[in-house]
Amino acid sequence: MGGSVKIQRYLRAVVGSLALAAILYSAMAVVVRQGQAVLVTRFGRPIRAATDAGLHWKLPWPIDQASLLDMRRRVYETGHTEMLTRDKKNVIARTFVVWRIGDPLAFTQAVGAEDGAEGKLDGLLTNAAIGTLGGHDLSALVSTNPSDLQTDQIEAELLGSTAPVALHNYGVAIEQIRLERIALPEENVSAVFDQMRAERRQFAAKFEAEGELEASRIRSEAELEAARIQAKGSEEQARIRGESAAQVARTYADAHKVNPELYRFTRSLESIDKLVKSNSTLILRTDSEPFSLLQSKDGK
Amino acid sequence: MRKLGPPSEIRRLAAPIARVLDGAWQRMHWWIGAMALLYLLSGITIVKPDEVAVILRWGRLVGPTPALQEHGPGLLFALPEPVDRVVRVKVKKVSEVAVSTLITSAGDEEDSETSDLNTLSPLTGYAITGDHNIVQLDMVARYRVREPAEWAFYGPDSERILKAEVTSAMVRSLGEMAVDRVLADGRKTLIANATRRAQAGLDGARSGLELSSLELTRLAPPPALTSDFDAVQSAFIGAETKKKEAQAFAESAIPQARAGADAAVQEARAAAEADLAQARGDAAAFLALDRQYRSDPSVVRERLYRDAVERAIGGAGSVHWVPPPRGGSYRGFRITIGGGSRSGGTGEIDP
Repeated sequence: MGGSVKIQRYLRAVVGSLALAAILYSAMAVVVRQGQAVLVTRFGRPIRAATDAGLHWKLPWPIDQASLLDMRRRVYETGHTEMLTRDKKNVIARTFVVWRIGDPLAFTQAVGAEDGAEGKLDGLLTNAAIGTLGGHDLSALVSTNPSDLQTDQIEAELLGSTAPVALHNYGVAIEQIRLERIALPEENVSAVFDQMRAERRQFAAKFEAEGELEASRIRSEAELEAARIQAKGSEEQARIRGESAAQVARTYADAHKVNPELYRFTRSLESIDKLVKSNSTLILRTDSEPFSLLQSKDGK
Repeated sequence: MRKLGPPSEIRRLAAPIARVLDGAWQRMHWWIGAMALLYLLSGITIVKPDEVAVILRWGRLVGPTPALQEHGPGLLFALPEPVDRVVRVKVKKVSEVAVSTLITSAGDEEDSETSDLNTLSPLTGYAITGDHNIVQLDMVARYRVREPAEWAFYGPDSERILKAEVTSAMVRSLGEMAVDRVLADGRKTLIANATRRAQAGLDGARSGLELSSLELTRLAPPPALTSDFDAVQSAFIGAETKKKEAQAFAESAIPQARAGADAAVQEARAAAEADLAQARGDAAAFLALDRQYRSDPSVVRERLYRDAVERAIGGAGSVHWVPPPRGGSYRGFRITIGGGSRSGGTGEIDP
């Protein structure tokens, strides 16, 4: 049983030291998770802020106290704020900002609760936006001409004018500022609507006129082309006819040259054939051929 | 034992605990050993196929770089709580968020009810195009986690950052395009630009998110102007129809003309062929006749003459015979012709 007693003694030592470690751990250790920061205060006075995650130590309560801060980035959208651009146009802009706690000590002292930061940011951002947009024309925000657009520059200016102040005054690190919306005051919107309507009507009229013009162009071109083709056809037809007539005439002439006298004779006979029709009346002398034969036979 | 032991007071307090421990050990030391082992192994877990896991040791990420911090699917060896904590992130899961910031009213409901149709409150969602037109649009963004550790520990609220970045990117992308491009062929460009900008924004905010797709579920001018935009559309369609009709006309007129011309030419060719054939036939017949004629001219001549006279008499409508004139002249001679269709029906020869 000597071994058992030895194990028992080890066991007691292990359990005892584990219990002691647990007590010390709970009183003095602060686990700072990734994404958190710790602020240690001694009798209420901040003595240390740590933003690196891991195991941190403090003296036990009531001497030291540790408070954990959430270091996550957060999105804050400002309200819609009306402002004047450099070219004296009223616009309503809304920005959003991505921020996190940059300096836990300054943040705790200046802002306190985490949701208190947004009220402070709102004022800062609104002022910066009014100031920055006042230095740019409306066309820097909306324009079809790419060289007018200066949104990147405006956002950079906004960041430049707010980030140092926010960090210095509130311990807030602003990581991104973007223009989220650009709108117009209500009374200007109806003017825009009127202008849009006029533009639409103009477009409709333009399309109609263009369609008409194009259609008639296509039609007249087709008609012209058709006429050209027809003319070419007629020309060819006339040429063929002419050639044919010439050839026919030549053929006849070649034949008739052989015996012009016979030709004249047969032509005359053909003429008789052609001229005497069913509605013709012939008046013949009884002594003409072929009946003259009968007559002479009779002897009259 | 006495030498190593704690002060007697603590020892007296710890005595019952020691007794319990001793008793427990004696009776179930196997159980205690097994449980200690189980505890030591409790940090070993399985990472599911759609997950990535990271280990926090005393709250701190284990591994110097994201590649070494992230553990893919499979067995993961970690130390037991409270030393290690395993944080799992579903990286394959694509989530969806509706971004209706540029169409719906951001303010109170009554605002949209009382507002007059010919304007829009700035609280109502809309965007201004590069040529100062107003459009409204509804979007759906799909996203997933790209950088699990960054997203899990530092990333802003996913839906909020997505809505803000997508809205901002879309407002900006619309602000550089003309309304007619936006509403017609520029839609793809618009989405591509907005997606690129939104992703740049998400990266700039180090959100750890990836915008997988951005879909426009609606993109239209404000309701008050719908009819005006439709009128342009129908004018456009009308113009296209007119052009198509003209083209159809052209497409039929030209071939028709071509066919007509071809037919005329063919007809002329055929007629020419026929005429020539006729002429050749006639010529051949004439030459044949000539041969006959040469051998016996008077007979041929007589025959031809008689044939012609017969044909003439046979073909004529009526034939009148008159005796030869007495004394070589027809003075005072009268003839009456009847039965013809000609009006008058009666003629006179009075040379």
